[in-house]
Amino acid sequence: MNLAMLKPGERGKITSMGAIGSLKRRLMDMGVLVGEDIKVEKIAPLGDPIEVTIKNYNLSLRKKEAQGIEVEVIS
Amino acid sequence: MMQDTGYKIQDKDMHHASGIMHQRTITVAVAGNPNSGKSTLINAIAGTRLYVGNWPGVTVEKKSALFEYEGTNIKLVDLPGTYSLSPYTQEEIIARDYLVHEKPDAIINVVDATNLERNLYLTVQLLELGIPVVMALNIHDEAVSKGYKIDIKIMEDALGIKVIPTVATKKIGLNELLRAVTDTSGHHPKKLNYGSDIEAAASAVEKQIKNSYPQLLKKYPLRWLIFKLMEEDSHVMEEINVGDKSFIEEATKHLKKAHGNDVESIMADERYALASGLTHEVLKKPEFRKMEMTEKIDKIVLNRFLGIPIFLAAMWVVFKLTFDFSAPFADWIDAMTTGPFKRWAEAILGFIHAPEWTVSLATDGVIAGVGFVIVFVPVIFAMMFFITFLEGSGYMARAAFVMDRAMHAIGLHGKSFIPMLLGFGCNVPAVYATRVLENPRDKALTSLLIPLMSCGARLPVYVVFIGAFFTAYAGTVLWSLYVMGIALAVLMGIIFKRTLFKGESPMFIMELPPYRMPSFRSLMIHTWEKGKHFLIKAGTYILAVSILVWFLLNLPWGVENKKDSYLGKMGQVIAPVLEPVGFGNWEAASSLVSGLIAKEIVVGTMGEIYVQKKDEKKEQPALTDDLKEMGTSFASAVRDSASNVISTFGISSLSSEESAEEKEERSPLRDVIKSKFTPLSAYAFIAFVLLYMPCVVVAIAMRQEFGTWKWFGIAFAYQMALAWIVAFTIYQGGKLIGLG
Repeated sequence: MNLAMLKPGERGKITSMGAIGSLKRRLMDMGVLVGEDIKVEKIAPLGDPIEVTIKNYNLSLRKKEAQGIEVEVIS
Repeated sequence: MMQDTGYKIQDKDMHHASGIMHQRTITVAVAGNPNSGKSTLINAIAGTRLYVGNWPGVTVEKKSALFEYEGTNIKLVDLPGTYSLSPYTQEEIIARDYLVHEKPDAIINVVDATNLERNLYLTVQLLELGIPVVMALNIHDEAVSKGYKIDIKIMEDALGIKVIPTVATKKIGLNELLRAVTDTSGHHPKKLNYGSDIEAAASAVEKQIKNSYPQLLKKYPLRWLIFKLMEEDSHVMEEINVGDKSFIEEATKHLKKAHGNDVESIMADERYALASGLTHEVLKKPEFRKMEMTEKIDKIVLNRFLGIPIFLAAMWVVFKLTFDFSAPFADWIDAMTTGPFKRWAEAILGFIHAPEWTVSLATDGVIAGVGFVIVFVPVIFAMMFFITFLEGSGYMARAAFVMDRAMHAIGLHGKSFIPMLLGFGCNVPAVYATRVLENPRDKALTSLLIPLMSCGARLPVYVVFIGAFFTAYAGTVLWSLYVMGIALAVLMGIIFKRTLFKGESPMFIMELPPYRMPSFRSLMIHTWEKGKHFLIKAGTYILAVSILVWFLLNLPWGVENKKDSYLGKMGQVIAPVLEPVGFGNWEAASSLVSGLIAKEIVVGTMGEIYVQKKDEKKEQPALTDDLKEMGTSFASAVRDSASNVISTFGISSLSSEESAEEKEERSPLRDVIKSKFTPLSAYAFIAFVLLYMPCVVVAIAMRQEFGTWKWFGIAFAYQMALAWIVAFTIYQGGKLIGLG
């Protein structure tokens, strides 16, 4: 299960990060870390990018980038 | 250069303020996350003393100021807003290079009190540098109203720095902040404990540095250097060129194995753990969170069905406000420089019996050129104001969110939409507006495509030709030109994405900051700085080109027939190239050359060349009439501007209607055009005008934004080729199917 598969309103816990190099570091700098809770808030009107909340703030990223973030759904 | 002027001010202040000759000067860097209110804080502290320039070699804006505070001279340097000090973005590299190499005396770390954890992640990294830090715990009022309780004492003790709550928009806490900056003695940034395994690796690396590379100790802060070596930071590794890296691998081997990850990630994890641990310690939040305003607004603004209509409506309003607000002022400036100022210059030069050519140079060259520069000022000011508002309020990020999918398809970023849209009014502010894009690649590609947006200056050319040939279906023809520009922008975007910008697809990881009302002061300072920058830098170039074109038209001396002027001769040289596209005559070619200044000038030059000038001996109005006229027309410009803004339904900025005066002026030109062009070659001609080279002001704007002529060069080359190919296809294709 990756982040791009979550529906708006669903939460997940990050289990691993497939991204490498600058993309990974950038995501980590923004607080997207393994073990962190992440919630999908919205999907943009045209279907991409998505908006998530993490570490108490709102972040947007493209689905392509979200696909590299593995999550475990929290109900 | 900046320092020179800065120090002069300081000298003056010194004599006035205290008379002490040996005042202490300290350098203070201001660091913080984007959206932490950093620029508002800087504006509030330094205000008009701010000097805005660029960081050397890049297009990132650099703000600095020098002023005196309670007997200490403070040199304030604003670092680009960053989330981290990693080596991956231009902004981060600039910020860390400055901190490491320039070694400021202190750092003001602006922290958003409503978003403590992520902001403290940067603070943790700043502490690694060992430079005294003072934290401006900004947006403190909002945190209080949310019910947040932040224990400042615990935070100060844990980090070993002074923490000052501030509200930059209301200028609260600024005195305390500056006082803390001038006296950082007694506050030593704590060496935070990164956990036993990281610290063990760190001390192993430290030993090696001290033994094998002692020369590095003078150059770099020790702890920072250790961490960067452990992370094998590409930028640092390259800079210091450590020969044998095996000691690093040896030191971090155990660490990597224990965590099953690379050191960079382990370090990022640990820094966040420190930030989040501290946050839990100092921050008390109310148990029940009410739905915040930002959430409520976003429910509507980012709604699946309403998101795009709302965005388009917002853009329409911004477009209308920018151009309708500024148009009457631009017209007024235009009327003044072509009217009274020109007459006065003529009168003065006539009075001192200056030769006729100096009169022409002064009025048609210099005054027209100056007027041409000033005409842009209202629109640039208006554009900067609204762009700054969109950014400061937080809507810009939403606009990017809504539009990214569509713009990404042609290789652009969601934020590219706004500069592209402004391009329909005028390409010049549009190029300046590309600074909303952080990534240099996005900026360059957007700027390359902007000239394909049909700007207002091209309209007069269309109007003259449509009036001559296509009156029956004027709307359709006009519409076809705008659509042609957009379609070709999409096509060129896809081509550039696969050629010039191959391989680099920048990521889209963007914060959606809470909506906030930007302070009026901050808006005004920003707008003023940008306008001033344009006036001085771009103004000089434009004036020079305007004078050059005057010489082209009027040299060799005493030229009677325009065909024999340099411009006419250039036209004759170029004409054969334009033969296959339907207008291979020197008149058309010369007019196109003069369009370098601005595309609307094509019409003026055609008028001069094609139509024999009538002797225009008008009554010379008296000086007092001129002054009265200036006053009343300015008042009516203000009135027009206001009514334009109020009735956003007036479509003055895109109107294709001509005034009665213009109609009368242009009807002889139309008659000549009818005899020189066929409907087919006329359409090829206006398509050519739409697409060929961007005007000189766009060239200068691109030069200013990128610090090189490279991108303008590329734009010039591809647009020339595109214009020719499209006009060729229209003309020859049309002939093939029996048109014209």
